[in-house]
Amino acid sequence: MNTSVLQAQSVTKTYGPTVALAGVSLQIAASEAVAVMGASGSGKTTLLHCLAGIIAPDAGAITLHAPQGALRIDTLGPEGRARVRRQHYGFVFQQGLLLPELTAVENVALPLLLDGVERRAAEAEATHWLHTLGLAGMEGRRPGQLSGGQQQRVAVARAQVGAPGVVFADEPTGALDSRTSAQVMQALLQTTTGAGRSLVVVTHDEQVAAVCHRVLHLSDGRIVREQHNTPRPTQVAS
Amino acid sequence: MRTASHLTLLLVRRGSDTSRASLALPVVAFAVVTALALTVLGGARFFFTIEGDLAAFYQSLAALAVTLLVIPLLTLCGSAARLSARRRDQHLSTLRLLGAPTHTLTWMTVLESTLLAAAGTVVGVLGHLALAPLLGLLVFHGERLGAGNILLGAAGTVLCAVALLALAAISSLLGLRGVTVSPLGVRTRQDVPRMSLVRLVAIGAALGAGLFAGQALQIDQGVVATVAGMVFTFGLTMAVLNLVGPWLLGVVARVQVRRATGRHAAERLLAARTVLDSPKAAWRQVSGVALTSFIAVFAGVGLAVTDAMAGSGASSQEDALLLADLRTGIALTLLISFVTVAASVAVNQAADILDRRELFASLERMGMPLLGMDRARRRAVLSPLRLVSLGSALAAATLIFPLAGIALLTNPLALVTTALLLAAGIALVWLTLLATSPLLARVARES
Repeated sequence: MNTSVLQAQSVTKTYGPTVALAGVSLQIAASEAVAVMGASGSGKTTLLHCLAGIIAPDAGAITLHAPQGALRIDTLGPEGRARVRRQHYGFVFQQGLLLPELTAVENVALPLLLDGVERRAAEAEATHWLHTLGLAGMEGRRPGQLSGGQQQRVAVARAQVGAPGVVFADEPTGALDSRTSAQVMQALLQTTTGAGRSLVVVTHDEQVAAVCHRVLHLSDGRIVREQHNTPRPTQVAS
Repeated sequence: MRTASHLTLLLVRRGSDTSRASLALPVVAFAVVTALALTVLGGARFFFTIEGDLAAFYQSLAALAVTLLVIPLLTLCGSAARLSARRRDQHLSTLRLLGAPTHTLTWMTVLESTLLAAAGTVVGVLGHLALAPLLGLLVFHGERLGAGNILLGAAGTVLCAVALLALAAISSLLGLRGVTVSPLGVRTRQDVPRMSLVRLVAIGAALGAGLFAGQALQIDQGVVATVAGMVFTFGLTMAVLNLVGPWLLGVVARVQVRRATGRHAAERLLAARTVLDSPKAAWRQVSGVALTSFIAVFAGVGLAVTDAMAGSGASSQEDALLLADLRTGIALTLLISFVTVAASVAVNQAADILDRRELFASLERMGMPLLGMDRARRRAVLSPLRLVSLGSALAAATLIFPLAGIALLTNPLALVTTALLLAAGIALVWLTLLATSPLLARVARES
């Protein structure tokens, strides 16, 4: 768990007079799950967006240690950052945000199809992930025919299908009840840290943070506290 | 009622930038409907003022053109009403949460729809005034029409505007009947009354109103009967097409889902699934073109054959003028039909992008190329449009196969002109779709 896959050095981001991030530095190790917590406006979503290359920081460096070598994300343009997101990252959002017209398997296969993978191969890979996440037999269902928890597991499968090095999750259980939330979190951990990938979760939920290796507490754009856990995945599966 | 009125005005005035953009869409749609409806009715009215042997013939053709254009115009009007209804969902459920009674919600819905429609109608009247000089340059019966003959007149304009406002109010009331407003949101009722009966009644009412208007205006009863017969025939044809069209689009989309492979598999799959998700909605958007294309080929072949026959023998100047007028009429009807479809597509697409802004933003964050999403969106409209317009044209050509063959051999230019008009119409819709692409990019990056 010592190999760093993602590194941020003195990252700063301001929106007009508001300082969202004030010189944040951190490292994310391989197979590590890191929770980012903090009050609204503390800068946690901005941190996730900078680490994920969704936005560029005003100052500081963000380095992704990809299998092909180190990559300075902060120096890339919008197209370059989009490519990094597509090829190296996976995303899970609060509302699954699946395409309602497509079936579960088509939603999961979509990133691969957009990357030019042949449909049969893309759907075979998507089916594998749906089975892994306990959604066997639901491949042909559309999001509207699935429960909230099932939809979120489809979103987890979509995040994993491209074999990303890091998965970013923004309040992935925010719209779910506690039992479903635990199941989704377990699925997320199994398919990320359990498979050698890293996970960065922005959350308000102490239960979600408790199952991560490390919790970063943000306030006024700074990491004010860092807490190391011994995650017990079984506690979230109850 | 006073509280509801104040609330409605407050919500309309104090919207965010996005909600203001959302409010602008129905206004634009109503403006287009009003401008086109006034122009079409104004032009048709002119033909009811001419005299002579061919007056009845011209009047029948004008009535036919109005009938053909009423369908796409009503579709656009419906889109606008549905659009303003969708804008209200969040307001309505929040007010319900705060304990607002049903009559307050109903009044707010009707008032907001009518206000937006009124704003659109005012813009539309100005549009009609601006269009009149341009369309006045058209030549009918050897003379320029003149802007004065396109303008509907003050009384007609007011009547038409009031009718459109009433339609907006009724549409929003009907829309409310189809949903249940709860504190947790607005959801569609499962027991939505079937519209077929309403449509049947509307067709009957339109026929009755036409006959009554004919009697009141003391127009020759023979003409009234002919026009009523024609309206009925085309209404019936449209009803049949409305039954077959969605089913056909669904069948084709199902085949396209299976065949979506290769380099553009993602966009082909997404486009086909979008149509399959609601073949009726896909059909509604392009149905106006179906009958217009059918008639265009029918009339185009007829004109080509008549032209060829006139060319081989002596023909009067009156016949030559009539043929020229028919050509202008067909081109104009096709043009307005496609402009209406293009406006409907623009409004629906812009609304769809705004409604799904979170989804598009999430896809952009995932690094998905938006170009592919954009192509899928365009394909979902153009594929049914091509199928409907070319399918209807081919159906018409098959129905009158011997004549179409003769026309192709004797006067291919006339048929090429019709084909070019259809292609130009499809190109117009394609351009409209392209025009909504920047909105998709902006929404995906800014949400």
